Amino acid sequence: MTIQAQNDDIVNNVKDIAKRLLEEGSVDLIIGYTKGTIPLKAPPFFVKKPEDVERLTWDNLGYTNLAKYLLVKRKKKIEDKEVDLKVGIIAKGCVGRAIVQLAVEKQLKRENVMIIGFPCNGLIDTKRIEKELSGKEILNASVQNDEIIVKGKDFEKIYPFEEYTMALCKTCKNRTPLVLDVLAGENNNTTVMDDFFDVTTMEAQTPEQKWEHINGVLGDCIRCNACRQACPVCYCNLCFVDQNKPIWFDKTFDRADIFVFHLIRSLHLAGRCVSCGACYGACPVGIDLNVLNRKLEKLAKERFDFVAGTNIETLPPMMAFKMDDSQEFMVEE
Amino acid sequence: MTNLYVPKLTTIKSIVTENGANDIKTFELVFKDDNDLNEFKYIPGQFAELTIFGKGECPIGIASSPTESGSLKFTVKKMGTVTAALHNLDVGSTVGIRGPLGNSWPVEAMKEKNIVIVGGGFAFSTLRSLIEYLIADEYRSYYKDITVIYGNRSKSEVLYKSDLERWQQRNDINVVLTLDRAEDGWNGKVGFVAPIVKEVAPSSENAIAVICGPPIMIKTSIPELEALQFTDEQILSSLEMRMKCGVGKCGRCNVGNKFVCADGPIFSRAELKQMPGEY
Amino acid sequence: MNEKILLKEKISDVFDALKGENDIIAPVKTDWGIEFRQIENPEDIALDYLNSKVPPKAIWLPKVETLYEYEIDGKDVKIKTPPEKLGKKVIVLGIRPCDAHSIKILDTFFKQGSFEDDLFQKRKENLSFIGLGCNSPRETCFCTSVAGSPFNKQDVDVFLTDLGEKYLVETISDNGEALIQQLPWLEDSSEADIELAKEQERLAEDSIKTQVNLENTSKLLDNNFYNAVWDEISATCLGCGSCSFFCPTCHCFDVIDENDYANHRGRRIRVWDTCQSPLFTLQTSGYNPRTSQKERCRQRLEHKFCYYPENYGIVGCVGCGRCIAYCPVNNDVRDIIAKVNNIEPRTEEAGKT
Repeated sequence: MTIQAQNDDIVNNVKDIAKRLLEEGSVDLIIGYTKGTIPLKAPPFFVKKPEDVERLTWDNLGYTNLAKYLLVKRKKKIEDKEVDLKVGIIAKGCVGRAIVQLAVEKQLKRENVMIIGFPCNGLIDTKRIEKELSGKEILNASVQNDEIIVKGKDFEKIYPFEEYTMALCKTCKNRTPLVLDVLAGENNNTTVMDDFFDVTTMEAQTPEQKWEHINGVLGDCIRCNACRQACPVCYCNLCFVDQNKPIWFDKTFDRADIFVFHLIRSLHLAGRCVSCGACYGACPVGIDLNVLNRKLEKLAKERFDFVAGTNIETLPPMMAFKMDDSQEFMVEE
Repeated sequence: MTNLYVPKLTTIKSIVTENGANDIKTFELVFKDDNDLNEFKYIPGQFAELTIFGKGECPIGIASSPTESGSLKFTVKKMGTVTAALHNLDVGSTVGIRGPLGNSWPVEAMKEKNIVIVGGGFAFSTLRSLIEYLIADEYRSYYKDITVIYGNRSKSEVLYKSDLERWQQRNDINVVLTLDRAEDGWNGKVGFVAPIVKEVAPSSENAIAVICGPPIMIKTSIPELEALQFTDEQILSSLEMRMKCGVGKCGRCNVGNKFVCADGPIFSRAELKQMPGEY
Repeated sequence: MNEKILLKEKISDVFDALKGENDIIAPVKTDWGIEFRQIENPEDIALDYLNSKVPPKAIWLPKVETLYEYEIDGKDVKIKTPPEKLGKKVIVLGIRPCDAHSIKILDTFFKQGSFEDDLFQKRKENLSFIGLGCNSPRETCFCTSVAGSPFNKQDVDVFLTDLGEKYLVETISDNGEALIQQLPWLEDSSEADIELAKEQERLAEDSIKTQVNLENTSKLLDNNFYNAVWDEISATCLGCGSCSFFCPTCHCFDVIDENDYANHRGRRIRVWDTCQSPLFTLQTSGYNPRTSQKERCRQRLEHKFCYYPENYGIVGCVGCGRCIAYCPVNNDVRDIIAKVNNIEPRTEEAGKT
């Protein structure tokens, strides 16, 4: 099936299910994606009325991890009592993983969330396309067959879909949520194991090469914190960036401050990151440091046999201790 | 050139602990440079940004009155990093100061009027400044009756005990003190500020009421003032907001179309009603 | 004022002529887009651009600015204001009319009140703008809705119109005249050139598709502070602050003391900040008058489209469209204004306090 056909399938299935759930009253609210006001954008969209499901879309542009919106407590009044809203989320694989991770970390109640999973076929790497177009304005973009067609005032460019998906989507082994309530389509998960090729490639580099890569990537950071705001598992009431007792590091654009922010945020996501790329999608200057998060994901898998967001029963490595946990970093085994 | 953000230097001349819990102190600051002292002309109600070098800056209302020349007094409660650092300083330490900032109690408009001052807890500091100004020799004759109602939770929390004693001995100012609960050795009234306002029942005719205190005190006392026919234009209050630059540039204290540090912090109740409830 | 012609291949000559006393800042191509940078090599100048990602406001409102430095010596303190590097004049070459206009808005703001921000004023005094008309406004541009236009010449010293192989050069201010006198080799223009320039202007203005109706918006924003429309507007906002960082008229800053405890010294700096940050209004007591993203989202819009008109009679927006292009969740200010404009008129808003 071409990408376009897959998308039509997904959208039709999603709309049917969303409408049914709203009409039955199984959910009070559905969160999905809709068409943006400018090309290559698909903002999150809140649907309360069944007729509004017509505005739901899927066109490989939903960067926002919708699980983020589950961190807000939503309530309604039923006869003077306040009751949690039931929220349905149109979830691609990584959104489903985020929901599970948040449930495990007790940031939401699983029973309040209806995971409407669908078989994701990848996100377009719009930042790469914009970069390659060097600032030319995109007036129209669409996926037809297996090509991304981008048109501007005096140009038309065609990009092969597979090649121009986000790096994280290329290594994704979890396209349909493993934990879900309703499936809009057919599960397209692969049984191929993750070989973390993206990580091993960087592991093979020299320290100088690694430094240059990270330095280059972080060069443009403007400390806007969009990555943190977009990340579904970043929910601390007081982020380490904002603490003043003590002040861990400064809020300037010094190389040192930028580094510390990104490295520590990565560490805080160790074993928790669901590789959704919402950080990259939100970053206004297109910083993609996910290779670090993938490295930590690899470590979590190797040392603790843990993959974030795939099992609602298992506690993440940083929240649990087993007697046979690897201790090679402090004890000679 | 960068006068706006560069503090002048002062030395701590004296430190007085105001309360039993030991977390409210009055610091008396003396400018290192006399020129700075001469330039620092302020009116009661204004505040200054105090810099504790190595820690940061905080906006504090000026507790002394311009009629008490030579030094400035600030009453500071230990709340966060900067105020805690200030509390750790000794006499002789250096404190930076930027000011005077903000608007003031309208001492000109208050002339020929009866003044009612209602204060609670440690929000009394700029009220002290106002009172000292109003009763100063050169200004007292401009103002009519002055009534002060000041409430606290307990005796140990009453600020400016020696000043209060001095004021109570005068016959041109009526000072009514109250505690939330009766205590041994307390001769003043007992009760929250709101019922005491009702009891004292200052007349609203040709009067201006100034009210400063914890939110609950303000919330309960304002209806009492309204019952006494005080209009919204007659009731003034001092607002607190997170501030950084203190001069209306950084945007932090923006509420409605006002900047609390520059258009305020003193607003009439009429003005407050025009502002969105984001303070 | 005689219009002159500047051949595009002679841009580097302009740079050479003016660089002596001035820092020249112009758009350059970087890895991730067009940026305003100080030019060392005139080959880098890329005037064939739509608009930069980060507005040139970093030139007059630096991202990080040292206010003063201090040294602690026992109980004494010494203050040093940093050496003035503000004396050098700066020419911004190729600035768009919207960005040029933004400095007027900032100036209106920084001038008001009893204190004048001399850091900003000094930088502004040293600025000259060689503006460039927009032959191809973007879909997201709406400068004509906020008292601007793609060929607005009021806020620059010299105005360039792109005529294909050359620019029409118009002197706008006395300052501009002084600059032009350093380029005596500019060619004379012809009637045809001037006609072509006028044609470009007409085409450009016609091509602005977005019209944002702000006639009643300020009043509606004032009267509907508590309206449920804000729940809808702010529902998907992440609070990332990208809108503030990319906005040419956003000016809020944080004042921070950077302390080098080991060496008993430090400096006070101001850095760009955003009202979208949860910390913005958080008080030491823990109380925060803007508890959720709804309040913070509302604040930015009220500030630009209600408080600015109320205080200064101008809208705090230049219609550059950057907030639309870079919002990660596509919160489109045009849609938001439309939602506000559509609020049902009602009688007196129930109690504001």
